[in-house]
Amino acid sequence: MSTRRFYLIGFGALMLFDTVTQLCFKLASTHAGEFMPSLTWLREVFFNPWIYGAVVGYIGAFITWMTLLKHAPVGPAFAASHLEIVTVLIVSVLYFGEHLTLLQVFGAFLIVAGIVCLSRSEAEQPKSDAEPPP
Amino acid sequence: MSNLAIFFWLLNIVLDTTGHLAFKAAAVIEHESEWQRWKALLSSPPLWLGAGCFCLEFVVWLALLSLVPLSLGMLLGSINIVVVMVAGKWLFGERLDRMRVAGMWLITLGVALSGGGA
Repeated sequence: MSTRRFYLIGFGALMLFDTVTQLCFKLASTHAGEFMPSLTWLREVFFNPWIYGAVVGYIGAFITWMTLLKHAPVGPAFAASHLEIVTVLIVSVLYFGEHLTLLQVFGAFLIVAGIVCLSRSEAEQPKSDAEPPP
Repeated sequence: MSNLAIFFWLLNIVLDTTGHLAFKAAAVIEHESEWQRWKALLSSPPLWLGAGCFCLEFVVWLALLSLVPLSLGMLLGSINIVVVMVAGKWLFGERLDRMRVAGMWLITLGVALSGGGA
């Protein structure tokens, strides 16, 4: 597999798993209703299937992350591990019909710019002994 | 945003930061062999403190999402990146170069703008 294709599939899978996890979290919390400090609320959370979707998403993201880290430079990998914010915002608007104010959209751009800065800083660190992709 | 939502947001930051720092404290244990390292790791209190924090964070995040839209939760949650980095510098002397500081300021400003009107 070419390096480019490996990274594209790997980072895509990571973002997909992270997005599915957050989507399932929201669906689980919506199903349970507004937080109440009671066992009933916890039971509503842990007895609905969406919470297990979130767990599966976590496991998938963990495996993908560890595979990526073995081959990919840490900078872009670090950025990709946080850039799910973009896909989750898209899903929030399209699937849940949430409304983003102009200030929030601008805030999201700043956050993404910040993550890119952090990723560049990570990339400038001495190179690790990462293996080439398979 | 309600006071309860702000409480869960702050609790999420505390748990996430403590969890990461505890894992880091557990991970830096040096041993002669990998087997011994894993044995020491599994009996290390910081590892279990970290695991406990992340389990609790799981429930706290759900509680927060039951009170605020997913988009707002994600935007506000980004501040965890900054807090973990500051704590890493403070406790483990990790490097904070100009690019990182710039990134941290951008994220903080982004979170402040996103949450300010909520």
